[in-house]
Amino acid sequence: MFLLSDLYRVAINVGDRALSPGMKKIVKWDHPAGMKYIHFWAPLMKWSLVGAGFSDMLRPANKLSLNQSISLFATGAIWSRYSMVIVPKNYMLFAVNIFLAFVGAQQLARIAHYRYTHPEVASTTKN
Amino acid sequence: MASLVSRGIASLKSKETRDYLMSTHFWGPVANWGLPLAAIADLKKDPDIISPKMTVALCFYSMLFMRFALQVKPKNRLLFACHLANEAAQLTQLARYINHKYGGPQPMKQYQVPSKSNATTAPPPPPPSAQPARSA
Repeated sequence: MFLLSDLYRVAINVGDRALSPGMKKIVKWDHPAGMKYIHFWAPLMKWSLVGAGFSDMLRPANKLSLNQSISLFATGAIWSRYSMVIVPKNYMLFAVNIFLAFVGAQQLARIAHYRYTHPEVASTTKN
Repeated sequence: MASLVSRGIASLKSKETRDYLMSTHFWGPVANWGLPLAAIADLKKDPDIISPKMTVALCFYSMLFMRFALQVKPKNRLLFACHLANEAAQLTQLARYINHKYGGPQPMKQYQVPSKSNATTAPPPPPPSAQPARSA
């Protein structure tokens, strides 16, 4: 497990030595929210949430969790504001949360539509 | 003892506390608490509604954000606690899903022949209905 972090550190060191200053400027290598820091990789991981939510479109609507959809939408909406306020400003986090809010809203719409077209389910579910 | 209580209450009524409670630094993590609370509420429900892709994605996401919360300036321990709780909840949901899917007798595949070894297999899952629900 720790082998991965060693690999990552080696890759960063190689990048530090091999990239020319011009190249570093283009890819923003030394930016505080750049590839060397968690501020970059954590929001990149959050795209997997957007992808998983998007792939849930293939699941039938009665198999979606209402609680999770509401919390995904709320977290996406509030975090898109939060990401512009923290230090350093994190545009990747902003973008991913906008998309997460859309995915959450889309799941909510599917659940609402399913319950509207199937009133017997809507009356029996506790939530 | 009384002075401790009165000092505690005074610090809660101070301007820093009010500023903190009005800041996005507080309400961002509060919104994020929705995720672990949703997972804990779903623990009582049918494991059918667990989405395995979403659960695995949330596990990795909370792992990374636990570190993010401690590295961002200023440190956000509320966010850290939220992701710690989420990690635990999502791992529990993942375990429930795996148990539900693979824990019992597996339905026989088409190529298998009934024999003593698969005598206690579950009935095959119902085929998808011929008329899927159409939108209004």
